[in-house]
Amino acid sequence: MTTPTIKLPAPLFAKLSPHPFLLRNLTTTSSTDSPSSSSAASKPTRTNGRAPHEPRPLHLRLSSLSHAHGSSLVRLGDTTVLCGVRGEILPVERIPGFRAIADREAAESNGTGDDNGFGGAGGEPRSGVGRGEIKDYDLLVPNIELATGSAPQFLPGVPPSTLAQTLSTRVYSLLCGTGLVDVRDLRVWRRSGPRDEGRGTGKGEEEDAEMVDVGEEGDEEEGQEEEGQEEEGQEEEDGVVAYWVLYIDLLFVSFDGNPFDAAWAAVVAALRSTKLPVARWEPEREMVVCSRTEKRSLRVRGLPVACTAVVFEEKDLGEVGAGVAEGRHWLLLDPDRLEETLCRETVTMVVDCSDGETRIKSLEKHGGTTIGRELVRGFAGIAEARWKEVDAALK
Amino acid sequence: MTTTAAAPEAALGVLPRADGSANYSHAGYTVTGSVNGPIEAQRRDEHAYEAHVDVVIRPAAGVGGTRERHLESILQSSLTQLILVKNFPRCLVQIVLQVEDSPENDYVNTKLVQASLNFAIMPALMQTAVLALLSAGVPMRATATATAIAVMRQEEGAPTLVVDPSTRAIETAQSAHVLAFTSHGGLLLAESEGDFTVKEWDSVYDTAREICCRSAPTKEGMEMVLDEEATRGPDMRQFLQSTMEAKVAKDLHWK
Repeated sequence: MTTPTIKLPAPLFAKLSPHPFLLRNLTTTSSTDSPSSSSAASKPTRTNGRAPHEPRPLHLRLSSLSHAHGSSLVRLGDTTVLCGVRGEILPVERIPGFRAIADREAAESNGTGDDNGFGGAGGEPRSGVGRGEIKDYDLLVPNIELATGSAPQFLPGVPPSTLAQTLSTRVYSLLCGTGLVDVRDLRVWRRSGPRDEGRGTGKGEEEDAEMVDVGEEGDEEEGQEEEGQEEEGQEEEDGVVAYWVLYIDLLFVSFDGNPFDAAWAAVVAALRSTKLPVARWEPEREMVVCSRTEKRSLRVRGLPVACTAVVFEEKDLGEVGAGVAEGRHWLLLDPDRLEETLCRETVTMVVDCSDGETRIKSLEKHGGTTIGRELVRGFAGIAEARWKEVDAALK
Repeated sequence: MTTTAAAPEAALGVLPRADGSANYSHAGYTVTGSVNGPIEAQRRDEHAYEAHVDVVIRPAAGVGGTRERHLESILQSSLTQLILVKNFPRCLVQIVLQVEDSPENDYVNTKLVQASLNFAIMPALMQTAVLALLSAGVPMRATATATAIAVMRQEEGAPTLVVDPSTRAIETAQSAHVLAFTSHGGLLLAESEGDFTVKEWDSVYDTAREICCRSAPTKEGMEMVLDEEATRGPDMRQFLQSTMEAKVAKDLHWK
């Protein structure tokens, strides 16, 4: 009973030797009475009191920004991210190398054809139209800013860190890969489309029409319009005159690990709440005008949900010669900042179960060899459970 | 399973002043990599217990953008696993990968200057980095081999797998995958984009594993080797081994 006891408070222990601290938390059970595991049940817990497979609840608030077309605020524990979507009109004359879409019906129906496509359906050349436009003309522009002070490691006055650049690349490629935004919602046609006709946009729009952008119409090709229009005196050729460009800006207000899951949830939620003004071509003024009053919400396809976990290994980067990981390891779902600094191997899976069947939209796993085939398979189930939680939070 | 590309080619020690270097070309991509290390680390990169691995990727045209940063961070975390970083505390291992050539894309709307790298370049970058590290003699825990696979949607029936797909094939594919395995058979890296199920991923995993870590063929029995060449795809581990063997034999020629 003469063991020298040095009582260290838990935060100090965590600061001094984070790896043993987390390891001790995970290995102790209720039988031992170590001070750091006061709330521990029979199951192992992490330093933040959660079970290894327990994510933080997702809190969501929509349309809190008044000047953006769509916005969301997502809280995942102490990670808070604010997302704003702002649309801008891009006239096609400003697009270098623009390929006119002549056949409206074909183009419009093509977008619906591939529901779960990645870069367009099948092998036929015509079908590249839908997803190609978003990618070719950069119609979605995500940007991520990690605010100074959101976490101690972000310093003021430095260029965007590798983390910020990596995150925006991942968000961008996932936006393109999932086909979340329907390009048909972003096109502005010269003639008011069938969707707009159905809503009766005729009444006195001249007064409340707002000038958005003056497009100098280059090609005034008139004629060759056989079918008579119901609209008054529209003789120009049918075609896309402009696109909406969506600027998706994300700001991390506070940062406590797992930035990608929070950022992606914020992007999806913001896009679902986005309402773009109805834009149409004004033949008299030869420009695109937007309605002040009428708004149309953006159609968002599916609900992809990101789920991230890190692998915490018992040995701090195996001193062993063998490349195969030895010792125990824990899969920590939804890691916080401390856990992210201690773990090298991460896995992120984006799943969408909105069609009933689980489809994986993206899988990223790097930094280690612990996660093999079995764990990836098992992780799909965990991601599915996470999808249900996020789906409930978004409703 | 179909393969669209010819066999890979590699040359080691192509740069005279770097500690190690390699040139690798496969599936239309040509990458030259150089490795310097272990060298003195900058103060801010210094780590008290292990070496810092620095990966720099330079695209064929222009300067690197966000996509390159993403690829760099993936490669960095993977290569840190391979290099015995604990042996060199407070040191730096610098790996520079210069993309020389990337395949032409016959798609009409391709931007003239490729602003960002496609992630199908990942296997080429990984192989070049590993070859350059071997050439530099940096102590490593294992080597790694990587491959890219695209799942193409078919009109009817099961989707087909294309190994080392072209740029356009990746754009039209249902999903695209990059997998890397260590020489011990562990899954080092798995990046997938698109739309797929766990079952499809499983078949991709099987194919990739077949390519990346096939057990070395027995040297005797020539017809057996020929047999394998005909039925199975490329063998990356065998390629890595034979490249190193050829280099060592050439270097020891004077003996």
